[in-house]
Amino acid sequence: MINYILQRVGLAIAVAFTVSLAAFLLLNIATDPAYAIAGEEADPEVIEQIRVRYGLDRPLWVRYLDWLTGVLRGDFGVSYYWNKPVATLVGERVGTTLTLAFSALFVTIAIAIPLGAAAALNRNTWIDSLALWLAVSAQAVPNFWLGLILIILFAVMIPIFPVSGDHTWLHFVLPAFVLGASSVPPVMRLMRTGLIEVMGSDYIRTARAKGYRGPTLLLRHALRNALLPVVSVLAVQLGQKVGGSVITESIFAINGLGRLALQSILGADIPTVQILIFLFALVFVAMNLLADILNAALDPRIRIR
Amino acid sequence: MNNRLTRTLGSAVLASGLAFGHTAFAGPQDDTLRAAMSGEILNLDYLYTTRREYIILAQMTDATLFTMNPANQQIEPGVASSYEFVNDMTIDVQLRDDVRFHDGSALNAADVAYTYNWIIDPGSESHAQALISRWLDRAEVLDDHTVRFHLAAINPLIIRDMAQRVMLRKDGAYHQGDQVDHDAMALNLIGAGPYRVTRFNPGVELVLERFDDYFGDAPEIENIVVRNIPDMGTQQAELMSGGINWMFNVPLDVARSLDARPEIDHLAGPDLRVSFIVLDAAGVAQPDGPLTDLRVRQAMNHAINKPEIAEFLMGGGASEPIYSACHPVQFGCTQDVPRYEYDPDRARALLAEAGYPDGFSLDLWAYRERPNAEAIMADLEAVGIDINLRYVQLETLNQARASQDIAAYIGTWGSSGVADTALIARVHFSDTSDRHLSGDDQVVEWVLAAEQTADQDLRFGYYQQAITRIAEQAYWVPLVSYSADYLVTSDLEFPLDDDGVPRLQNARWK
Repeated sequence: MINYILQRVGLAIAVAFTVSLAAFLLLNIATDPAYAIAGEEADPEVIEQIRVRYGLDRPLWVRYLDWLTGVLRGDFGVSYYWNKPVATLVGERVGTTLTLAFSALFVTIAIAIPLGAAAALNRNTWIDSLALWLAVSAQAVPNFWLGLILIILFAVMIPIFPVSGDHTWLHFVLPAFVLGASSVPPVMRLMRTGLIEVMGSDYIRTARAKGYRGPTLLLRHALRNALLPVVSVLAVQLGQKVGGSVITESIFAINGLGRLALQSILGADIPTVQILIFLFALVFVAMNLLADILNAALDPRIRIR
Repeated sequence: MNNRLTRTLGSAVLASGLAFGHTAFAGPQDDTLRAAMSGEILNLDYLYTTRREYIILAQMTDATLFTMNPANQQIEPGVASSYEFVNDMTIDVQLRDDVRFHDGSALNAADVAYTYNWIIDPGSESHAQALISRWLDRAEVLDDHTVRFHLAAINPLIIRDMAQRVMLRKDGAYHQGDQVDHDAMALNLIGAGPYRVTRFNPGVELVLERFDDYFGDAPEIENIVVRNIPDMGTQQAELMSGGINWMFNVPLDVARSLDARPEIDHLAGPDLRVSFIVLDAAGVAQPDGPLTDLRVRQAMNHAINKPEIAEFLMGGGASEPIYSACHPVQFGCTQDVPRYEYDPDRARALLAEAGYPDGFSLDLWAYRERPNAEAIMADLEAVGIDINLRYVQLETLNQARASQDIAAYIGTWGSSGVADTALIARVHFSDTSDRHLSGDDQVVEWVLAAEQTADQDLRFGYYQQAITRIAEQAYWVPLVSYSADYLVTSDLEFPLDDDGVPRLQNARWK
């Protein structure tokens, strides 16, 4: 098991570096960061000055190797755009994004699991149809549109929540719902399918024969196994929440890593973009790894394999 | 994120919300104007920035030797009470004795001399360095309230640069002993303007408070909060819910949809930004290409329906068709030039005369206002020019142009809010600029000569000759001037100025 995990960790790091290299090349080939940093009407002299100051006049491979060795030493460089150490920038914002990501995951769990269970236990009834319809609708609605609708409904017309910002927990309610809602459909469908399968299995029939009914049967016998695939998906979803917070954080003006990523991309801030892509890739792969470990913990058969 | 889609959908959704309940608006109760900006505010030091947002902020937080009166574009005293040319290469500037920095210290000649000498010091790496170094050799303290500027060259824009580009700093502001700190004023600004910074969270929020010791006219509003809200739809929602009072750079469709709401006003004013097509008359990218033929360039001028672009795409607020290679309100921007009115038949005839009766293919590059670019493409295709629209990011266009790969591009220029043709002419018609595609040495000579004399009549004459020749030779297709569109809560009186620079410090409650 340990060998397997170590192998996966190595692969994860390789993936993250490959992603960062690809991003670095694309960013540098597609654009000249000096123009973006200087602004639209900067003098050519200023642009050249910036190019020299940030070492952008050096060959591409030298710059990438510099960055890579810096990262290995724990030095993430200094942001061109924010003029601060990238590590400081990330450190200041990671808490906000994690708060949002976990809140969103909570929303997903709170909606998708009961809804999936209700659909499975009431298969082919109106409840099942309603749940599936909600799932399809949620999947069809883009994040930014849902965000705007919620802002209009619950911040403008019925001013319960703030429109934007991240000063209090109230600021996180709408964005968490927006970010969480996008994961409801896959989790709900997986929950429904898993529970239907489990409810038709032999051991559930045995449990019924032993007299278990209702919530006891569901909670003690059925859910544990039905949740196995859901846990994997939830772990991956958490990774997606961290990396996918770009749109939600921008709409709600939340000062997290997603907004930092967008600002840095627009500002051609290569040191920051590089680290963020690297971190997002690491989080995503780590979550996949975590999903496997959780599955192994929940299902002894996986541990034996 | 697809900001345009967000904007359009947001606009539609918000407009549909108008029919519903009334939201209580925050008024002037706490005497705080809340403004939204999409672009992040990361650095409060205008000596190290160039973007429009920073000009807006610097006018509130900083003081300059002179100021520009937005009503008549005339330069007036600021921290300086007067100035005198000792000779062609020396200016003495007298300072007021009642100017204080935000930390309470008095501003004197040493501060002024330090600021200017620091900017032109190569070690300062100030964004203003290239501009000020063109004319300043050094600044010298004569006495507590007199500074002598020794010039490196005669430049007619010296006083204007003093008024608009050089924000005054305290003596030693960027030095701590032997250590130089370029970012000393980035987060903890000590200016001498009408507002002082009380809180700054870069990229999130800037809180300003009226500075009671300000030497000039005190602003009416006590506090100004500038929030960074990247999404235009969210800004609209904040405006509707009373979270903000002011937003700018508002797309016309959005502005019109919210203007219907009684608590919100749409304001449209002129902007110094103009758009134009630069044509490769010199054959830099395409030697012997069709654009080297005057008749082809004239045909392209006749082919484009500028009045309709101004009215229907730019919004008609303050947008106008332009015919000169500059903004009509800029000094030296003569309007007495050959005009190529919209006449597609004439365009086709000229193309036929030039040997292109069936037109030709052309890559047209653009980076802003895609609808305008598409309208221009349609107009050119209507007369037979097959356009391949290369709509790209600005940086990509800049790189392609630097590589001399561009035969025609739609450019825009805001002249940094300065109403003088020098600000647009030099960068587009000097032989050191990759934007200069005319290949006309005479135009270059006139443009540079205009910057080497302080005689305003002579300057005007040079620009008149240059701008007229540019029109005669159709080196550009001048398109339209921009409109500056704002949405404000209706309790706010916000004056609009001809240069299109928003001045929040002049706002007041109704």
